[in-house]
Amino acid sequence: MMRGKRRGMVVLHAVFAFLLATFVLFPFAVMLSMSLKAPDEQFTSPPYLIPHRPTMENYIEVFGQGSMFARYFLNSILVAFGTTVVVLGVSIFSSYGYARLAFPGKSVLFTLLLLSQLFPLAAIIVPLYRIMSQAGLIDSFFSLIVGYLAFSVPVGVWLLRSFFLGIPRDLEEAAVIDGCTRMQAFWKIVIPLARPGIGATAAYILFITWQEFMFALTFITTQNKRTLPVGIFDFVGQYETNWGNLMAASILICIPVFILFLFVQKQLVGGLTEGAVKG
Amino acid sequence: MTKEREWIAGYLFILPSIVLLAILVFYPLIITFLYSLSDMSLTSTRYLGWMAYQRLFQNKMLSLIFKNSVIWTVFVALFQLLLGLGSALVLNKAFIGRSLLRGIVILPWVMPGVVTAMVWRLIYDPQLGLLNHYLKALGIIDHYLTWLSTPSTALYAVIFSAIWKGFPFSTLMYLAGLQGVPPELYEASEIDGAGDWNRFLHVTLPSMRPIITTTLLFTFIWTFNYFELIYVMTGGGPSEKTHIFPTYIYDLAFKRFRFGNASGFAVVDFLFLLIFSLIYVRLSTKRGGLE
Repeated sequence: MMRGKRRGMVVLHAVFAFLLATFVLFPFAVMLSMSLKAPDEQFTSPPYLIPHRPTMENYIEVFGQGSMFARYFLNSILVAFGTTVVVLGVSIFSSYGYARLAFPGKSVLFTLLLLSQLFPLAAIIVPLYRIMSQAGLIDSFFSLIVGYLAFSVPVGVWLLRSFFLGIPRDLEEAAVIDGCTRMQAFWKIVIPLARPGIGATAAYILFITWQEFMFALTFITTQNKRTLPVGIFDFVGQYETNWGNLMAASILICIPVFILFLFVQKQLVGGLTEGAVKG
Repeated sequence: MTKEREWIAGYLFILPSIVLLAILVFYPLIITFLYSLSDMSLTSTRYLGWMAYQRLFQNKMLSLIFKNSVIWTVFVALFQLLLGLGSALVLNKAFIGRSLLRGIVILPWVMPGVVTAMVWRLIYDPQLGLLNHYLKALGIIDHYLTWLSTPSTALYAVIFSAIWKGFPFSTLMYLAGLQGVPPELYEASEIDGAGDWNRFLHVTLPSMRPIITTTLLFTFIWTFNYFELIYVMTGGGPSEKTHIFPTYIYDLAFKRFRFGNASGFAVVDFLFLLIFSLIYVRLSTKRGGLE
C-alpha cells in the first residue's frame, strides 16, 4: 500500500511539473509561432500554433529597409549601459556605507531609501519632465539615464548592501591589523570578494532599464532616439498590427536579457532573497 | 579609525546617492504634492489648497480607480503567492529535468513588460488569438469573446497575464525559503508520523513565514504601481474598467494635461501604500513575521 501511494505521488508530481511547464511556455510558443509565420498563415481562422511553412521572413524584415529596429537596439544598449555604469559607481560606495560604517542617522536615511520604492514612477514624472525641459535635456539619452537613476539607484544600493553584508567582517579587520588603511581594505579585500554580487547587481540594473517604458515614452520625442520598448510600437499600426514582425522583434528583445540571466541567476537570486530577509 | 572619522567616512560614502535621490526623487515628490493643491493644467494654474483634496475625494473616478487597483493588486498578489508556493514545492523535489524546469519557470519574470503585454494581446485577440480557439474546441465557450474590450472580462484578463508575468519571483523566493527549512524539523515530524499535508501546514509554512511575509509585501507594492502591462494591453479601457493608479495618473498628466489632478491621484497612491505598509509591517512583526 505504501508503494502504491508513493507511485501515486510521483505521477501527481509529474503532472504538476508538466502543467507548470505548459503554463509558463504557452505564451513563448505563441510568440515563436507567430514570428515564424508568413502573412498568409498569420490571419487564418481558426488560428493554429505550429506553422505549416515556417519562414525567417519576419526576422529579416525587422532589420530590413525602412525599419529603425537596429537603431532602437543600439539606443537601448547605450541607455542601459550608461545607467548601469553610473548606478554602480554611486551605489558601490553608498551600499558599503550602509552595510559597514556606523554613523548617526543611518537607519533613517536607509528607511528613506526604501520609502522611495513606495510611490509609482507616474508620481514624479511630471516634475521630472519639467526639470528636464527647463534644463534643455528633453529628447536626449542623457535625460533617460538621469531619469532611470531615480529608481535604479535605490535598487542598486539595496542589492549591493545585501552582498556586502554577506562578506565576513573579519577579513577587513585582519587586513587593517596587517597595516592596510580602511580604504585599502575596501579596494583590495571587499571589492574583489563582492565581484559576483556587483555583477549580479549590474545585470539587474541592465534588466530593468532595458525594459523601461514610461520614461522612454515621455522623455524621447524624436523617432530615431527611441529605445526598444517604445520603438516596438512601429509594428503596431493604427488599423492593423503586423503581428509577424512584432513577435519577431519581441523575441529579439528578449534574447539579451535571457542570456544575461543565464549567467547571473544564482548570484542574483541569492542577493534578492538575502536583501528581502535583511530588510 | 576614530568614531568621528568613521562618521565622516560614512557620510561621504552615502553622499552621492543621497544627493541623487534628493534631486530626482524627493524634490519631485514635494513638487508633486504642491501641484496636487492646485488645478494646474497647460493653460492655467489656480491654487486651491485643501479644497483640491475635497474635490478629489468627491471625484467618482477616485473611487473607481481605487476599486480597480485593489481588485487588481489583491488578485495578482494572492495568486502569485499560491502559484509561487505551489511551483516552489514542485521544483524543490528531485526529479529528472528539474534544473531545466527551474530555468524555464523564471522566463516570464525576465520577459520585458511591453513584450509580455503584446504577447498576451495576441493570445486574447478575438480572431487571431489561440485562447478563444482552444476554449471553443473544449466546449467552454460557444462563440469567440473579445476579452480585452468587454467590460466584465477585461480586468480579469489583465490580472491573469500579470499573474503569469510575476509569479516566478515568488517561486524564487519560496524555493530559497524551502531550502532554509531545518531538516531536523522534517525528521521530527516524520517520527511523529505526520502526513504530507500536516507536515506542510505545521513545519514548512511556519518556518517560511518571514519570507512569505516579505515577498507578499513586495509583490503587493510592485503590482499596485505596475504601469506598462495594463497601459499596453488595454490603455485603461474599456470605459476605464482597467485603469489603476499609475495608468490613470499618466493619462491625466500626459493625455489630458491635468497636472494638478494627476498629482492628487499620485499623492493618494503614495499615502495608501505608506499606510498599508506600516500596518502590514506592524501586524506581521507582532505575529513574528518580520524582524
